[in-house]
Amino acid sequence: MLRAMFLKEWLKLRWALLGLLLVHVAMLAYLFLSVRHQFQVEHSEMIWYWSFELRRLLYDQVMLLPALTGAVTAVAQFGPEMVGGRFRLSLHLPVRGDLLVWSWVAVGAGVGAVLAVLDAAGLYGIIALFFPREAAASAVLTALPWLLGGWVAYFGTTLVLLEPAMRQRVVYLMLGLAFLGLLYLQRGYQEYDRILPALAALSLLFVPAVILPAHRYRHRS
Amino acid sequence: MDRAVTLEAARVRPEADGTPAIEVRHLAHRYGSRSIYSDLSFSVPEGRVVALLGKNGVGKTTLIRLLMGYLRPVGGACRVLGEPSHNLSPATRARIGLLFEGHLAYDFMSIAEIERFYRPFYPRWRRELYYDLVDRLQLPYDHKIGNMSCGQRSQVVLGLIFAQDPDLMILDDYSMGLDAGYRRLFLDYLKRYLDQGDKTVFVTSHVVQDMESLVDDVIFLQRGGALMQMPLAEFRARFRSFGFRSEGGEPPRPDGVIEGVDLHGREHLLYSFATPERLAEHLARAWPGVRLGEERPMTLEDAFIGLTGKY
Repeated sequence: MLRAMFLKEWLKLRWALLGLLLVHVAMLAYLFLSVRHQFQVEHSEMIWYWSFELRRLLYDQVMLLPALTGAVTAVAQFGPEMVGGRFRLSLHLPVRGDLLVWSWVAVGAGVGAVLAVLDAAGLYGIIALFFPREAAASAVLTALPWLLGGWVAYFGTTLVLLEPAMRQRVVYLMLGLAFLGLLYLQRGYQEYDRILPALAALSLLFVPAVILPAHRYRHRS
Repeated sequence: MDRAVTLEAARVRPEADGTPAIEVRHLAHRYGSRSIYSDLSFSVPEGRVVALLGKNGVGKTTLIRLLMGYLRPVGGACRVLGEPSHNLSPATRARIGLLFEGHLAYDFMSIAEIERFYRPFYPRWRRELYYDLVDRLQLPYDHKIGNMSCGQRSQVVLGLIFAQDPDLMILDDYSMGLDAGYRRLFLDYLKRYLDQGDKTVFVTSHVVQDMESLVDDVIFLQRGGALMQMPLAEFRARFRSFGFRSEGGEPPRPDGVIEGVDLHGREHLLYSFATPERLAEHLARAWPGVRLGEERPMTLEDAFIGLTGKY
């Protein structure tokens, strides 16, 4: 049964996943070329000065990539379910509705996690090619709020798509955007280090929350 | 006499000893301030094929949604296979084959993929029934459902429901978008399937004529929630149509004995459950200006329109 559920998610996600994978690889390639280009046209001391004295980020091109990935993944997964009310087909399956929805978001979050690991590894590798390892580790820590933004964008979009009532849909949209805004408020190095665990814990509330719109969809009155 | 009361009086319950597959008691539902039903009650005994008939907007699809738990009723109760409809257990859902309006299916799946997807959910899955039906489409198994015509999709969806081997089928407007050939094919397969016995079907359709050879009982649902349920054979035997002439005075109106009057056709017709003798007696007393003519033969569709009106 679990395999069948994964089969459906795979069928919905495969082309989006391929597209996202290409975009992520292309963005990492662009980041590599961009950093290399900087080192070719500027002195190393100048880049060091920009990066660590003026604290200018060299890799903010990938900042919005996780959020975009989260939103695209959610649309690819839940768009086909909601068009024409096909969600009813799934809710009629002889499976508990909450487990069904959680299995879907597990797949979506898993896809996001794989791409996030790719981003983090790529970022670490690219920065480590030009800077000391401490700078590469710092780049990953700096990018963690952006990666959390992918999680927030995924669940926020999921809630908006699953929700049958327009008013709640707007509320979910506002909450999602506000959370994302919080994660993109600061643009320096590791500025979220102390608050990030709390924000990550808060974002876990999305997991039980996805059951609510599914329940409302099932029992609209 | 109030028309709802008239219909209530004509209600005949099917076998009282049959265990109901569907039981609706004092159901009330409304959208905002618009009431769809205020006190709807009926039951569908196990092993019967029951058609829910009514004009557009009387709440047929709403009723199906209530029965499947996609809407929570404002009042009353719906039980399906013994469980409250808004809280069906997965095991009970496995026993219900549900056809959604418009032959809803996962368009992004192919013929083979959708069978592979549904198979593990149903312990009594009968793969051969699915492929027996879809093989007639002569399409490759990797053909996407989204690229099929409405008729082709209907065969896939019906095949999936058959393969599920459900005890109860709820078919919401199976005829939507189907031409005569696909409708007939759908019905032929459904009848063959029902020949296995012990299957209950609750069906809605706009093509009333199709019900003639399919159903055991009919439920007529009218705007406001008035309802009449009886075996089809009894309805066909008792419900009659007569030509009439009005010699001065106003034409007759539904009044408890007269169920419907049609003044739009070339010949004026009235419809009643009463015998010709009783109707003549009633007309002489209540509508003395009306001269009753010959009884007219009716198709089921004629009878449906006679009972529910043309608009």
